[in-house]
Amino acid sequence: MRHNISRSARRITLFTAATTAVLLTAACSGPTDEADDGVTTIVLADAGLGTEADATAKAVEAFESANPDIDVKIESLSTDGTQYMQQLRQRLVAGSTTPDVFKAADIEIASLAESGWLYDLDSLGADPDSFVPGAVKAGQPDGTTVALPWFANVEGVFYRTDLVPEFPATPADLVAAAKAGAAADPAIEYGLAFEGAKYEGAVTVFNLVATGMGGGLDLDNIASDENVAALEFLHDAIYTEGISPEAVNQWHEGEVQEAFSSGQTVFSTNWPFVFGASADGPVDGKIGFAPFPGGGGTIGSEMLGINAKSEQAEAAWKLVQYLTSVEAQLARAEATGNPPSLLAAYNDELFEIAPYFAQVAAVAENATSRPSTPKYTEISAELQTALSSVFANLAEPRAALEEAAEKISEINGS
Amino acid sequence: MSTVSTRGPRAVPPSRAGGPPPRRRTHQTPRRRTQEDSARRLGNALVAPVLLVLLAITAYPLVNNLWNSFHQVILTKPGETPWVGIDNYTRLLGDPDFTDSLTRTLVYTVISVVLQIGLGVVVALVLHHEFRGRGFVRAAVLIPWAVPTVVSALLWRQMFDPRNGFVNYVLGALNLPGSDITWLAGEWTAWVAIFVADSWKTVPFVAILVLAGLQVIPSEIYEAGTIDGANRWQSFWRLTVPLLKPALLTALVFRVLQSFLIFDVIFAMTVGGPGDTTETVTYLNWEAFLVRSDFGAGGATSITIVVISLALAGLATLAIRVRKEDTL
Amino acid sequence: MNDRGITWQRMGFWVVVAFILIGSLFPFWWIVKTSLQSNQEFQAGTKGLLPEQVSFDAYVQVLSDPDFLRPVLNSFVICAAVTVITVLIASLAAYGLARMHVRRPSVILGVILLTGFFPVLAMVGPLFLVYRSLNLLDTFPGLIAADLVYTLPIATWLLYNFFTQIPSSLEEAALIDGASRMQALRMIIVPVAVPGVFTAAILSFILAWNDFAFALSFLQTPERFTAPLALVNLGQSQFQVFYNIIDAAVVVISLPVALLVLFAQRRIVSGLTAGAVK
Repeated sequence: MRHNISRSARRITLFTAATTAVLLTAACSGPTDEADDGVTTIVLADAGLGTEADATAKAVEAFESANPDIDVKIESLSTDGTQYMQQLRQRLVAGSTTPDVFKAADIEIASLAESGWLYDLDSLGADPDSFVPGAVKAGQPDGTTVALPWFANVEGVFYRTDLVPEFPATPADLVAAAKAGAAADPAIEYGLAFEGAKYEGAVTVFNLVATGMGGGLDLDNIASDENVAALEFLHDAIYTEGISPEAVNQWHEGEVQEAFSSGQTVFSTNWPFVFGASADGPVDGKIGFAPFPGGGGTIGSEMLGINAKSEQAEAAWKLVQYLTSVEAQLARAEATGNPPSLLAAYNDELFEIAPYFAQVAAVAENATSRPSTPKYTEISAELQTALSSVFANLAEPRAALEEAAEKISEINGS
Repeated sequence: MSTVSTRGPRAVPPSRAGGPPPRRRTHQTPRRRTQEDSARRLGNALVAPVLLVLLAITAYPLVNNLWNSFHQVILTKPGETPWVGIDNYTRLLGDPDFTDSLTRTLVYTVISVVLQIGLGVVVALVLHHEFRGRGFVRAAVLIPWAVPTVVSALLWRQMFDPRNGFVNYVLGALNLPGSDITWLAGEWTAWVAIFVADSWKTVPFVAILVLAGLQVIPSEIYEAGTIDGANRWQSFWRLTVPLLKPALLTALVFRVLQSFLIFDVIFAMTVGGPGDTTETVTYLNWEAFLVRSDFGAGGATSITIVVISLALAGLATLAIRVRKEDTL
Repeated sequence: MNDRGITWQRMGFWVVVAFILIGSLFPFWWIVKTSLQSNQEFQAGTKGLLPEQVSFDAYVQVLSDPDFLRPVLNSFVICAAVTVITVLIASLAAYGLARMHVRRPSVILGVILLTGFFPVLAMVGPLFLVYRSLNLLDTFPGLIAADLVYTLPIATWLLYNFFTQIPSSLEEAALIDGASRMQALRMIIVPVAVPGVFTAAILSFILAWNDFAFALSFLQTPERFTAPLALVNLGQSQFQVFYNIIDAAVVVISLPVALLVLFAQRRIVSGLTAGAVK
């Protein structure tokens, strides 16, 4: 008996040890080796899927054929913006030398720079003046260029040209036009659709409306009268004027675009992808794009940065240069509707590809970017909470903004 | 914890009635003692793999978070990590946002667990009963699990969209109240939506656990009960429930902890909104790590969550254990 | 009990069954319905419970996407591995705790429980660093090891309950008849424990299947992605979420999982047979 038990004990321990050993050895099949036949491999981190990923893949292919000694590996971190940044940060924190080139939203650059993870692009020969001014600023949080804009998205107001003969000049006119348009077309269900969910998109909408009404995201003056008026405008659109549905509380850009592309809303706040997404649909050919009355617009650029620890900085720089060349910018604009960030790309060829880029350029002229600060994520979170409570009718605009302003000055003070 | 006495024959203590004091160990039958020791050693060897694996994975993160919680660790300032003692903890516990979210989370945990266990037991009883088509119903109950939680939460957000989902549409079609409510935009209606999305997957989980417990109960117990004149209801409460205690305890403990730690569903559906009304403690944990990049605060939140979880697990164990032990 | 009483009970029973089926399957029906809609139709909002015009575009896109089928396969492999390992070592542990006079089984069970409830978010960062230095990043074994944190606690508890409910008289009888402990284990305990083992197996498979956080953090090359990662990425572009495509993918994935469950649940046989006790 005793003999059996200790033998069983030994057998079991041996079995477990063997299994663990097998698993560990299998685990030690490490990453693939670097090719050392004269070809430099660089890693490009990207998020997009669908048309954006296709466009990126094509651009990379073109780059590789023009540069046979450079091989680019595209690493798809996540389509979700927050998760993408989390994944990227994880690698940078771990001191990884890859990805060599990565994209990041303009609002993230300041904090990435503060952590010292971005390569100095001026030293590689960057030419920031060749880019759309509103877009390139985000890449220079403390003067040195550490990121260049890949494409310069801008948010404005979409409207139905068949229902709105003249674009409104004031917010009150917009409300009236929305009601008139809704009365004119039975398919219309909403006057104004906007992104009211608790996420960054709500902040861009708020900035869009606020800058049109004389306010903006001045971090020292969040609860200004103009900002309160702007927030009241959005709140009243839902609860007083009834031109926006309560459902906006859970709407992101996708839902707002769906409503517009299906011909159910007169006005909507969104980004230029709506043009492409509405093609061949019920509103094709009836789409107008303009700044919010008073000249409001929000810039949201996607920037390209090089890993400060990259071991292939020159090759990485060549890729960045290619992606920000006229040729690549036009190709991408055609495929995805992403507005170019290079000034030179706003040429006749572009307007031939897609005439709507002229309207985009008009909105971009006066559009503002969001504050460039390493603490942006934290600050935006406070704004998002405030906006979300107002849109859900749980707080008054002035009180919510004042509370947010207090929290923001606390964040900035620390 | 065990409701069944399964201990084998005990070693008989040596008699001390008379005679010289026995030398240690020799008065007991040597074979029996060593047998029990060997059994224990074997038992330890059997338990070891599970403990080793779990500790291997969680040890470093636990230590790391613990260390971080006593230092100031901000991601954007790598390299400067001064000791701050219990600063992170006092700041956390004194933060009204934290106490609010803790209250919210606990309230949601209690209500949702009670409801989900209740529903799960009902489902388990149904699945245990013999009827034609039972296999199909069992598979149907488990289908929600084929959808990964993250995806399920995303889909439920769409289902609650007044414009593009079915909840408002169906409520309207059936003339029930609530068809014009934007569920995710209301202070408490958002919680209802979260509960529905969460239950779609967790009620089957409870049901499976309780079903496993039901199946260990041999049918003779019921036959004896019917002979003694007990009706269905009585036999359920007096016979089934006590024997289900281990399964119910498992279901309760795991559901309480899972509910307390709920994250994916909330993040996908409301992101803690509207306002901050659905921010749970795990949301604050996420915020500390990924919004403020404050790993010191994140570590403190994580450790606090673990401590509270311990307390909750303890409470749950007491809730079921307090009644008298039943043996099979 | 007269006939009327029994009929009410029976009706009540079937009503409950109906509610259960509706609760479980109606959302799934919605998923199927959306998957059969074209982009334009689903963007137009809810008009009814049936698609206006059945379109298989979403399925075509999903099934012709190489980035979809491979992750599903990866998930199956990983989940199968996690299930097998879990069932093996959890059974051993549960048996040890239930039968082998281990000191303080409740404490050990408590420790096992708690390791399973450390917030996953807090684990991901440190584990990423550890895996990186061990070269376990972007590998299946690394992910499998992490997924065990989800499955081992519940499996051990479940099997512990099972083993403690099995009367030791079964084993004693076998041992008296001259069988070794291992033989007793194999021939008496194992058949009786099969329902518990299969339940633990189903639970483990599904829990591993649902992992997202670990897969997201540890897997880097798209060829190694798991199904949840692929699903989340599949129907999304920067701004748009194509629910019809995601739903089509969900339907495609659920079918094999449903079949698996249908097969496995038949093995969840009822109760201890009277013969075994005798």
